[in-house]
Amino acid sequence: DWLCSQTLLHAGAEREMKQLIMQRSAVHLESDAFLVCMNHALSTEKEEVMGLCIGEVEINRIVHIHSVIILRRSDKRKDRVEISPEQLSAASTEAERLADMTGKPMRVVGWYHSHPHITVWPSHVDVRTQAMYQMLDQGFVGLIFSCFIEDKNTKTGRVLYTCFQSVQAQKGSEYERVEIPVHVVPRDAIGKVCLESAVELPRILCQEEQDTYRKIHNLSHLDPITKIHNGSNRPNRPIRVLG
Amino acid sequence: MAASISGYTFSSVCFHSANSNSDHEGFLLGEVRQEETVSISDTQISTAELLQVVEIHNHDPCAQLFSFYDYAGKVNEDNLNRILKDRRKSVIGWYRFRRNTQQQMSFREQIIHKQLTQLLGVPDLVFLLFSFISTANSSTHALEYVLFRPNRRYNQRITLTIPNLGNTSQQEYKVSSVPNTSLNYAKVIKEHGAEFFDKDGVMKDIRTIFQVYSALQDKVQAVCGEVEQSERVKEKIQEDVNKLKQQIALRKRKTAEEERRLREAQNAESHPTSEENSEPSETSLLSRVAFHAPSAPERPGTSPNPPSYSDLLSQEDSLLSSSSSPTSAALLPRPQAVGSPGHPTPGPLGMGLDRQAAGQEDDDDDDDDDDDDDEDSSEYENLVSEAAHLPMVSASVLAQGRPAALSPDGDARGSQTS
Repeated sequence: DWLCSQTLLHAGAEREMKQLIMQRSAVHLESDAFLVCMNHALSTEKEEVMGLCIGEVEINRIVHIHSVIILRRSDKRKDRVEISPEQLSAASTEAERLADMTGKPMRVVGWYHSHPHITVWPSHVDVRTQAMYQMLDQGFVGLIFSCFIEDKNTKTGRVLYTCFQSVQAQKGSEYERVEIPVHVVPRDAIGKVCLESAVELPRILCQEEQDTYRKIHNLSHLDPITKIHNGSNRPNRPIRVLG
Repeated sequence: MAASISGYTFSSVCFHSANSNSDHEGFLLGEVRQEETVSISDTQISTAELLQVVEIHNHDPCAQLFSFYDYAGKVNEDNLNRILKDRRKSVIGWYRFRRNTQQQMSFREQIIHKQLTQLLGVPDLVFLLFSFISTANSSTHALEYVLFRPNRRYNQRITLTIPNLGNTSQQEYKVSSVPNTSLNYAKVIKEHGAEFFDKDGVMKDIRTIFQVYSALQDKVQAVCGEVEQSERVKEKIQEDVNKLKQQIALRKRKTAEEERRLREAQNAESHPTSEENSEPSETSLLSRVAFHAPSAPERPGTSPNPPSYSDLLSQEDSLLSSSSSPTSAALLPRPQAVGSPGHPTPGPLGMGLDRQAAGQEDDDDDDDDDDDDDEDSSEYENLVSEAAHLPMVSASVLAQGRPAALSPDGDARGSQTS
């Protein structure tokens, strides 16, 4: 029994040690990547948007995010921001492309998503999702951008952002949020990769719209008038974004 | 009055502000229009209300502070014209970004605003104030913004909306229809349906709209390419400027050193010749000695061994680790703005830790090492030790009236009026 408890203690200590080692000390977000995140987060207040962060990890456990990739959301339900394996794979490919372009060892180092009208803190679902990513990559970090918040009394608008990871105190216990310092690092100019990401947003919206419309269009039971209504509704979004 | 700012302009202001290690300011470009809203009441007399709508389309950031005004707040019209050029006519306001400050116009800003109102000829010039605050461990940051109408009574504030796809898109797709079995209806629809649908049964308009979208996307792509090239040119120029600055600084240092050596050589020569000239040189020598040896007679008050920087750091380290627990990292209370309908906050705690965060923010990009939590300067040691004695303000206390600052388990719905 004593041996068992000792083993458990050791396992617990080892887990804690591992978590501490992999826990990032800070996140440095390049200001042009920050620009893309903000643009993306402010593009809609009706649903949460998300993306992946590409960068490198320095010797001192600081994560340096150089650019972000905007993702399409397959499940648009509120507070469901899971990334499909295909998207992760595509992001890794993109990271390799960036590594070739910049000559730096880039990889997917984290994810971000938006909380429109909601507090910036991660929900239980977010913390669990983050923990899941950390199983694949213990140093994965999560960023949340909260926007469209207004204090009606003072007519003050707010945009917030936070960085976090997940820890588990003991095996089987609830995951908890750990705060990670995040700093926006100034850049003299906007990088090519970030410009490309920014332009991707309308393209992704168009693709999403096309998919949705295709599904609607295949509903054969719809009345022609309804079809006309749907048809005029459909394609405006990407154009509006481009405008 | 209603006001809106495009998401891209807002993000761009955030980008420029993040890039500056001091305050940042610029001009807001856009248009003001009048919208008439007609409301009909029971008395059958329709009342038309005129609503002024301010739309901010773009911004013109200033490269540095004091670029169009001096320290006394006097605006220089020539500089203003030089900065704005032909964009002057579309200026509808100006903005300022500050870190860890009250959300209130400063006196200088008020003076500048009055002059800008006159010079630009915009009677209802607006002022957008951005304020940036962070938690003590810099894990969470907030950018607050308020749009003022300073030329109105009591410095009126206006809600600023950010139009986006969520609040401007039309109704959702309909997935069901009302069934209609009338023969006449079917006949009419069949006759006129051909105008809408092509032979594949796809709506003709869709194809047209998709063409418009493709054309726009191609244009954006092309502009993106141009922007990228100009950004690379800008980067190169900035690099050259930095190199030149370094060379100038180096040259200045060398000249200063040479002058000092010359002066010392001259002093050494002239010292044995005249008595009157020795006094100033003696005192200068003495003061130099005093500087190096703190225990010199002129400085009786100074302790011989001031606390070392590492001692301060370790003291601050233990304070930080005890105060930053995962669940209570609330956004720090702001110092209450005078006259603003804010919420009472524990002032000293807020002020102290806010400035601490500012220190971290500004210095961070200079040293790329891992002591992000440690690099807070020793200047704020007094404030930190003061903070340690105050009770930790829990997130829920701050939550009243501050929807963004709830504890992790709560959800706040602070919605934007649309």
